[in-house]
Amino acid sequence: MDFIIGGAFQGKLEYAVKKHKLDDSDIFTCSENAAVSFERKCIYAVQEFTLYCVKNSLDATEIFRNNRKKWKNGVIICEDIFCGVVPLGADMRAWRDMTGRLCAYLSSEADSVERIFCGLEQKLK
Amino acid sequence: MNVLISGGCKNGKTSFAQDIAVKLSAGGKRYYVATMIPYDEEDRKRIDLHIKDRANMGFTTLEIGRDISSCLYGTNGTFLVDSVTALLLNEMFPSSHSGEADENAVKRCIEGLLKITEKAENAVFVTDYIYSDAIRYDSFTQNYRKSLAAIDKKLAEVCNTVIELCAGNVIFHKGGIVL
Repeated sequence: MDFIIGGAFQGKLEYAVKKHKLDDSDIFTCSENAAVSFERKCIYAVQEFTLYCVKNSLDATEIFRNNRKKWKNGVIICEDIFCGVVPLGADMRAWRDMTGRLCAYLSSEADSVERIFCGLEQKLK
Repeated sequence: MNVLISGGCKNGKTSFAQDIAVKLSAGGKRYYVATMIPYDEEDRKRIDLHIKDRANMGFTTLEIGRDISSCLYGTNGTFLVDSVTALLLNEMFPSSHSGEADENAVKRCIEGLLKITEKAENAVFVTDYIYSDAIRYDSFTQNYRKSLAAIDKKLAEVCNTVIELCAGNVIFHKGGIVL
């Protein structure tokens, strides 16, 4: 699995599309209002799924762990929302924590990890 | 040589950029292009600190809040543009800091900044990394973040060297420079 992280609007998806030659049908875009699907090659905007988990009292890392077979050869993209200040709202704090934990798990499982900074790749693993 | 410097707030980006500009200019003319337009006492204090910080470094200060490539009129040498963040703010909200965003601001900023990368002997650009926190921003702020990111990405593409400062530590994302 190739794990791609980075800030908002940094060009993470563009990087993944180019590197893995993805087209629209390869990409599942997560939403804060729906469960994640593991049926496509690329799971994008995982930070939206972790917000869905917070709102529905689910554990995102456990869900990913239970579906490891389905994504272990895929591409996963997440925004690194856990770098800023601790948010005041309890839900936003839980969201930040859950995203950080999931990203640590996904990094440990990944074959390669890149951080995208201003459209440039930084190899982390 | 063109250099882009990004990173979090209060990280030493300006001081670092000044050192690089001095080095690149190799004794030649150097300009500090100040883009911030002060609106209150807090802004003025911030600017005073910057002026003190670069005293005796040989910079000529040009205060240019909009139409950034106008710094090239009648000048030649090394330009330090501080900052892209403030420039975009001025271009997006020309009348005041409230009201509708000018949708051509990004295009204007990119054109002006690219002109500097083409015409100047050397240029150093300072921008701010505002993309990694757990906040659901309003559409107004999201638009600003997206716009700044578009400019940053373009600059990162054309600059020879791209540097991130992290708590004063240097990360090279592209190219390099002997410090």
